[in-house]
Amino acid sequence: MKTFLIALLLACVPAVRAEILVIGHVKNNIENLTAKQVQDIYLGRGRVLPNGKFALPLDQPSPLRTEFYEKLTGRPVEQINAYWARIMFTGQASPPQQLPSDEVVMQTVRENEGAIGYINKTSVDKTVRILLELD
Amino acid sequence: MNINYSVIAVSLFMAGATVFAEESKPALSLKGFGTLGASGMDNDSLKFRRDIKQERGVNSGWGIDTDSRLGLQVDADFDNAWHATMQWVARNYTGDFVEQNLDWAFLRWRPRDDLDIRAGRMGFDVFMLSEYRDVGYAYPWIRPPHEFYAGLPVYHFDGMDIAQKFAVGEGQLTVKVFGGYSFNQVPIGLSDQADQSYTLAGVKLAYEQGNWNARIGYNYSLNNLELSTLHPLMNALNDPALGAVWPDASTLAGKMSSKDKAVHFSSIGLAYDDGQWLAQAEGSYIHSELDVYRSVASGYLSLGRRVGKVTLYTLLGISETLNDRTNVSTPLAPIPALLELRNATDLALNTNGIDEKSVSLGLRWDVTENVDLKAQWSHYWLGNNGNALWLRPPTGAVADTVNVWSVGMDFIF
Repeated sequence: MKTFLIALLLACVPAVRAEILVIGHVKNNIENLTAKQVQDIYLGRGRVLPNGKFALPLDQPSPLRTEFYEKLTGRPVEQINAYWARIMFTGQASPPQQLPSDEVVMQTVRENEGAIGYINKTSVDKTVRILLELD
Repeated sequence: MNINYSVIAVSLFMAGATVFAEESKPALSLKGFGTLGASGMDNDSLKFRRDIKQERGVNSGWGIDTDSRLGLQVDADFDNAWHATMQWVARNYTGDFVEQNLDWAFLRWRPRDDLDIRAGRMGFDVFMLSEYRDVGYAYPWIRPPHEFYAGLPVYHFDGMDIAQKFAVGEGQLTVKVFGGYSFNQVPIGLSDQADQSYTLAGVKLAYEQGNWNARIGYNYSLNNLELSTLHPLMNALNDPALGAVWPDASTLAGKMSSKDKAVHFSSIGLAYDDGQWLAQAEGSYIHSELDVYRSVASGYLSLGRRVGKVTLYTLLGISETLNDRTNVSTPLAPIPALLELRNATDLALNTNGIDEKSVSLGLRWDVTENVDLKAQWSHYWLGNNGNALWLRPPTGAVADTVNVWSVGMDFIF
């Protein structure tokens, strides 16, 4: 009976989603970023980090990508893509570069002081700096 | 000589690519967008077209020309400040297939994060959607609102623009000025085409904050050419021998003239999108000094609601010609050849009115992250001498209310 109740409870809770961390280079001297700052960089509105360096935002494939934009902007990923289609095909800016996995994002962040990426919380280690937690 | 502007634009793109390629390897990317669409209507007395650059429309026989297109874009990032973009769109429009369909080929310099300077070929930024009319994936409707965008045959110009961004309140204000030349080939009637060349300049202010987008713009466009198809008629009217039997003839020839006459575009737009509800409205007044292209006021309002992956929308549009008809006097001598000339003059000056209203209902279904399916029904009311946006037979009665149905699939890659 108890097991049944727990199962029922779990079924009612919306699918538990992984927490996402926005990360940067360990030496970038940025304590943290606000959601608005991260939004501006990922939507191509700003290209400079608070430390004055050019931002190199990194994307990932869905489902993580879908979840990241939903948490960051409250919008479904199709709307983010429609937004970028407008910006990109009117020659204003290019969308963030898409990398295949947490490992590649972490590696790129380690190598670039301006890089900013997002990964599953479970993938993080001391080699990168956590700038924002999204949940 | 006009083709040279596009050569210059492409040269700028290539020059940028070459200069920077020697220093460092530029990051190149190929992207694209497209639409596969079919549309048809319930009437055969006139044909529906997406805009007046199209010479082939659809009627009850349906067709895929109206909305189908494929765009390819190459971007080259040389460093943090220099960038080049080239975009070409395959679409069934009047004019040279290669040159007229090249909409973007520019070199961009961004000396500061908030300043953009571009030179080459760029999209014509006169209304909210005018730079990305071809990118169906970027808007909810099957095509940009007909009353507002169908009268605009200009897609691009060759020149320069400067955009400066300012942080204002919580949002961002963009001020952009641009100027240059545009060469266009447009259809005349059902089988002819004519060259047009404009010298143009414009300014826009756009403000973006959270869910809101606002835009106000002005554009000036000066005609550099006469419409070649009207040359024979103008020459006939300017014949000095005609003066005695038809004193108004040369005045009417002057009214038919386009050269050195300007068109002024003023517009204002507002869009809201909170993820669930969307609303967009634009209004424009196009003041024309030409008698063959009338001053016109237009507007549209659209409301939409997203439910999961589906967006339902409605769209209301209106466009009205404001000038009076040109009075074409009768020649003093009732010679058949003269009366024929008078009728041709009347047709040239007085069949370019727009008096159109429509209501549309449609839906967009986002099937995957980069593919959507759309369907739209539109009902049009066309007033007397008010269907210049449509393809019509030279004479004869045409319908004043029609239904247009459309389905389409948009994609980006």
